Amino acid sequence: MKTIKILGSGCANCKKLEAVAREAAASAGIEADFVKVTDMKAMMAYDLLSTPGLVIDDKLVSSGRIPTQAEVRQWLAA
Amino acid sequence: MDTFLHLMNGGAGNLAAYLAAHVLLCLVPAFFIAGAMAALIPKPSITRWLGRNAPYRVSYPAAAAAGSLLAVCSCTIVPLFAGIYKKGAGLGPAITFLFFAPAGNILALAYTGSILGAEFAFARFALSLLFGIGIGLTMAVLFWRDDASHDAQTDTLFAGQADIGAAAIGVLLSLIAVLIAGTLKLWPLTATLGTVTLPLPWAEAWQATLSAWVPFDAAKGEEGVSLQGSLLILLLVLIGLSAWKGLENIVEGANRWTWVALGLAAATLLVAAMRLTPGPAGLEVALTGRAVAVGLAMAAVLHHARRLDADAWRAWLWEAWRFVKQIFVLLVVGVFVVGIVRQLIQPEWIQNLAGRNDLLANAVAVVFGVFMYFPTLVEVPVAHMFLDLGMHRGPLLAYLMADPELSLQSILMVAAVIGRPKTFTYVGLVALFSIVAGLSYGAWVDGADRAWIVGGLGTFVAVLVAALSWLLRHRAIPAQV
Repeated sequence: MKTIKILGSGCANCKKLEAVAREAAASAGIEADFVKVTDMKAMMAYDLLSTPGLVIDDKLVSSGRIPTQAEVRQWLAA
Repeated sequence: MDTFLHLMNGGAGNLAAYLAAHVLLCLVPAFFIAGAMAALIPKPSITRWLGRNAPYRVSYPAAAAAGSLLAVCSCTIVPLFAGIYKKGAGLGPAITFLFFAPAGNILALAYTGSILGAEFAFARFALSLLFGIGIGLTMAVLFWRDDASHDAQTDTLFAGQADIGAAAIGVLLSLIAVLIAGTLKLWPLTATLGTVTLPLPWAEAWQATLSAWVPFDAAKGEEGVSLQGSLLILLLVLIGLSAWKGLENIVEGANRWTWVALGLAAATLLVAAMRLTPGPAGLEVALTGRAVAVGLAMAAVLHHARRLDADAWRAWLWEAWRFVKQIFVLLVVGVFVVGIVRQLIQPEWIQNLAGRNDLLANAVAVVFGVFMYFPTLVEVPVAHMFLDLGMHRGPLLAYLMADPELSLQSILMVAAVIGRPKTFTYVGLVALFSIVAGLSYGAWVDGADRAWIVGGLGTFVAVLVAALSWLLRHRAIPAQV
């Protein structure tokens, strides 16, 4: 069971990132818990300078851009 | 009922006028440039100058550059602001970044230039830069104790190094060439290279119909809808439809609709760059130097874009499309509402309140700017309305400085990051400095001695820099108390 956090204030990119991550998890057959982090202070706990950020099991794997589904599957498999 | 129709007409007329050729020639390239900046400029290439150990003569200009190049949307502004403040160069550069971002980004500059004139856009840019750095320095001087007490955290967030690729630079420069070729009002861009008359007998009748639908009063500064304008509106609708299918999932790859949307965007720019005049014989199409220049610049964009790797150009198109979705719809609604409101405001009110360049007029403009909140870029048509109604350019600039920088939303956001006392100081400083900016620009427009204005502003910044460097040299001793 993976925990996937989406860091972002709810802008268009954050919604897109969540959709990409959900599809990637579903297509890889991995069960994941999705958490949306909108609080700025909680976000600053991770080292990021722009949203959206993607955190898998408490590790920041991407920020400031939308990864492809293939990338997310790789991170989920790691 | 008549009043209602009259108001709707005002809104529609204003909207149609804003979708005219010269605005699109600026906005369409500006959206692509904004997307390219967000996707193709690696953030570490600028943020590495914003680390804790950067000297202030590096960090303040870097903060302004970050505001101008990286921060076209709030997704970057808030995290970058918090990051610079908490983990990077400190309060001063963070404030400079925050203040300069709404005024210094490419969309705001290009749009201000096409609606209010290049000189006004330049004044907005230069004074926002000057006062952005000034407010940052002042905050750093006032709250230097706070910055000194920040523990020395790791600098990893700002340690990353990256350079912009050659292809990305090529794309950015040729996009800027499209913008310049589309907007400059200079020979040979304005020259007519040849004309063709298309045998379209309905052209003149269609123009008459358009003028009947959207009656306009040139004396009041209103613009009607031309045949060219109606063609452009049609093209825009088609772009919107094809982009929805072609760009919504661009991250996973392009499809047929992607190319349709891009082709239509290029066609829109070319049509906007030509001159279409309906006449009795049909539609006269004039090939202008502008159309040739825009065409060549777009070919250059294509040439460089082909050398981008797939991830990069997909990200670029996605960011451009996202800006369009986020901003354009609100802009269209905003312009429509501004057109309605304009019918309700008596020019005398504005002229009495802010027709002169004095302290009261500038203060009123700033207070209005702080309490009104308009979505991104809508402040520009609002300013245009005020200008038409007789507002002096000085208070107008004061309003344009205060409005996007300060709104209830941004005040709350800043308060969450830096706390209330600093936020109130910041708000006070922005109000004060906006008034000073308005008075300076107003005096400039009125023909006051320009050496005095430039000298005064220069002295002001020099004093701030001296104060900060004095504090930096002496901060080690009191900080240990």
